[in-house]
Amino acid sequence: MLAYIIRRAAQSVLVLLVVGLVAFSMFRFVGDPIDNMLGQERTDADIEQLRATLGLDDPFPVQYWNFLTDAARGDLGISFRQGRPVAEIIAERAPATLELAAVSGLMALLFGIALGVFTAIRRDGFVANAIMTVSLVGVSLPTFLIGILLIYLFSVTLGWLPSFGRGEVVRLGGWSTGFLTSSGLKALILPSITLGLYQLTLIMRLVRSEMLEVLRQDYIRFARARGLRDRAVYFRHALKNTLVPVITIAGLQLGSIIAFAIITETVFQWPGVGLLFINAIQFVDIPVMAAYLMLISVMFVGINLVVDLLYFAIDPRLRADRGDIRR
Amino acid sequence: MKTLLGAAALLLALTPAARAAEFSWAGTTDPQTMDPHAVNSAPVLGFLNNVYEGLVRRGRDMAIEPALATSWEPIGAGEGWRFHLRRGVTFHDGSEFDADDVVFSYRRASDEAADVRSWFAPVSGVAKVDDFTVDIMTSAPNPIFPDSIANWMMMDSGWAEANGASLPDKENGNFATLNANGTGPFRITAREPGLRTELRPHRGWWGVARHNIDRAEFTPIQNPATAVAALLSGEVDMINPVPIQDAARLESAPGVEVVRGIEARVIMLGFGHEADTLKYGADAGRPNPFRDARVRMAVAKAVNVPAILRQIMRGSAEPASQLVSPAMRGHSPSLAARPQIDPDAAKALLAEAGYPDGFSFGLMCPNNRYLNDESVCQAMVSMLARVGLEARLHAMPVSNYWPELRADNYDMYLLGWSPGTFDAEHPIRFLAATPNSEKRLGSWNFGGYSNARVDALLPRIQSELDDNVRQAMLDEVAGILIDETAYVPLYVQPLVWGVRSNVSLTQRPDNFFILRWVTVDEG
Repeated sequence: MLAYIIRRAAQSVLVLLVVGLVAFSMFRFVGDPIDNMLGQERTDADIEQLRATLGLDDPFPVQYWNFLTDAARGDLGISFRQGRPVAEIIAERAPATLELAAVSGLMALLFGIALGVFTAIRRDGFVANAIMTVSLVGVSLPTFLIGILLIYLFSVTLGWLPSFGRGEVVRLGGWSTGFLTSSGLKALILPSITLGLYQLTLIMRLVRSEMLEVLRQDYIRFARARGLRDRAVYFRHALKNTLVPVITIAGLQLGSIIAFAIITETVFQWPGVGLLFINAIQFVDIPVMAAYLMLISVMFVGINLVVDLLYFAIDPRLRADRGDIRR
Repeated sequence: MKTLLGAAALLLALTPAARAAEFSWAGTTDPQTMDPHAVNSAPVLGFLNNVYEGLVRRGRDMAIEPALATSWEPIGAGEGWRFHLRRGVTFHDGSEFDADDVVFSYRRASDEAADVRSWFAPVSGVAKVDDFTVDIMTSAPNPIFPDSIANWMMMDSGWAEANGASLPDKENGNFATLNANGTGPFRITAREPGLRTELRPHRGWWGVARHNIDRAEFTPIQNPATAVAALLSGEVDMINPVPIQDAARLESAPGVEVVRGIEARVIMLGFGHEADTLKYGADAGRPNPFRDARVRMAVAKAVNVPAILRQIMRGSAEPASQLVSPAMRGHSPSLAARPQIDPDAAKALLAEAGYPDGFSFGLMCPNNRYLNDESVCQAMVSMLARVGLEARLHAMPVSNYWPELRADNYDMYLLGWSPGTFDAEHPIRFLAATPNSEKRLGSWNFGGYSNARVDALLPRIQSELDDNVRQAMLDEVAGILIDETAYVPLYVQPLVWGVRSNVSLTQRPDNFFILRWVTVDEG
């Protein structure tokens, strides 16, 4: 068991290091931050000097090494654009992204499961078919288009919801939350739908097919034969057994909700880390890009590691392969 | 007595509040710092013009007018300028403005750490004469010096020193990066970089407030479609810019208006004047035809600027014949006509230069720097093809673009130039003078254009005090640049702002948004 955990952890660290190396080798293709930092009246000497100060002339493995050694000390560097510590900026922006991801993830899970069960039970019904057809839209339309359509419908035409931003936020220590004001809650609605729609559809279709599979099983027939009511059959026996794969997928999707919030955040000017990253690319703000990419990969690698370890804990067959069962 | 004072204060507070309004606006770029000396960029200087003030400022028509100096005059035969300072001016924190702050702001803004220090290259020293008089000495007579310091903003020496911001720090930031203490009509009451910046009127401002804003908020919105939606839904009162393709739609929308104008920025084509060979296209490695003025002239005659303005700029932009727009000081009205569009003459010129069948070359173009830049380049590719010039288009984001130009990786390129001093001398210094790093000349003259007469005239233009003599020299330089087709000026970039109908404002050609000219009609 311990050897397995150590091996998986070592693999994760290796993946992280490789991601960082790839990221740093790409930065020079994003462009040169110098022209964004110096004004119109710069001279060649100014350019040389600033390049040297920022260490941009170093080969990328050297830049990467400097980033790693600083990061190991907890120093993520100073943003080229804002002139403030990157860690501070990310800490400021993270609540916006995490709240948005939590709301849209929760929404996707609740509605996804509910609609999935419904479409499985009434699989030949008109409404269920209509839902299935509409759900194709969620999968096939790109996120930014859905966002813009929602904005035009609910903000411009109907004027019900704000088209951009987070509304009023309340500060609780280092955390800024939009949950406590009405404008903050209103502002959450459209971005969460935009961000969660794909996951919602995915979960719905997954639940539906799992549910259809389970409903064919013998124990369901026995349950019916025992005269259990439909509700008990569907929700106590069938749904429970569909949830294992659903939870796994939902867990993994949480990572992508956070990572792919970039597009939603851009469309809604949502002040999270995704928008920060997009701005950093435009400005070639290398410290911010590096920190963001590393954080996202830490998150993905971490989620995968946890999932792997959970499998290991849950599934005795994995342990049998390792021979632990001999004891 | 106390009640009486209270009543008076209430009355004072109520008088402007009768029509006081909130105003919010959005732009694509968040000013990266609140430090007026750290960064020399239009979004920063434009924003801070509402907060800080200089000795002089620009009016609605771009003319220089008194601000923190009430008057100024040249010293002797041009040894410098004497500025008489306004009395009774207070900073937002209540401290008094005097000559010490000017001397301090000079030291701060001309320091190595300041990006704006190039404004002070001609300055040899700044001396306080008395509390409200300052002498700024220049190493040579400098007629446009007051024009060149309109964005040099005054900072309180006491405030800066007390907060450890005596010098700007662009790389690591300091107190002045996030906080501001100017003398301007608005003070910053909240600043969250990249999210929002809140301003409220400075009640102790020396001028007469003509606006009726009680609270203003700026939000950067990068996505143009989101900004347009925010304007249409009334969440913001003004956006800059409006995407050109959305302008017509906004004009027909109720409650919203489009304000058009032309910017100071001239868009032009540049050439490799020094390069021996072509670098791109099928003829890469062959001798560089653009060294021949006839070839450059052929390009000028082949590019159909009116068609570009009609089709791509949708009638918003104006054609340009020189490196500066007609709104700038020193523009030459006698040379305002663009070369005739004439594909046949272009072909004849090419044949004369020894390229009867044309040639193939590389055109570099940014795709996110100027309005519709890539579309303009694509249109030019097909226009050039008609006279036998096969341009291979390489379009890229601006952060990749400048490094390519600096590395001389182009045969022809697109460039926009907005003169920081609003004077015709500016582009000559940066774009036409022979590159010379020591003298800080020609730093954007990527192609290495060089003309001895232009180089000889430039210092004389810089120090000539007589306006007529100076204009004659500017005309001569403009004439040389046109005759040699050093660049092909194409058009002046348009300004397109979107505004709610109940807002009145002034659009200045430098694209600065001046809050004190805004009134919101709440009725």
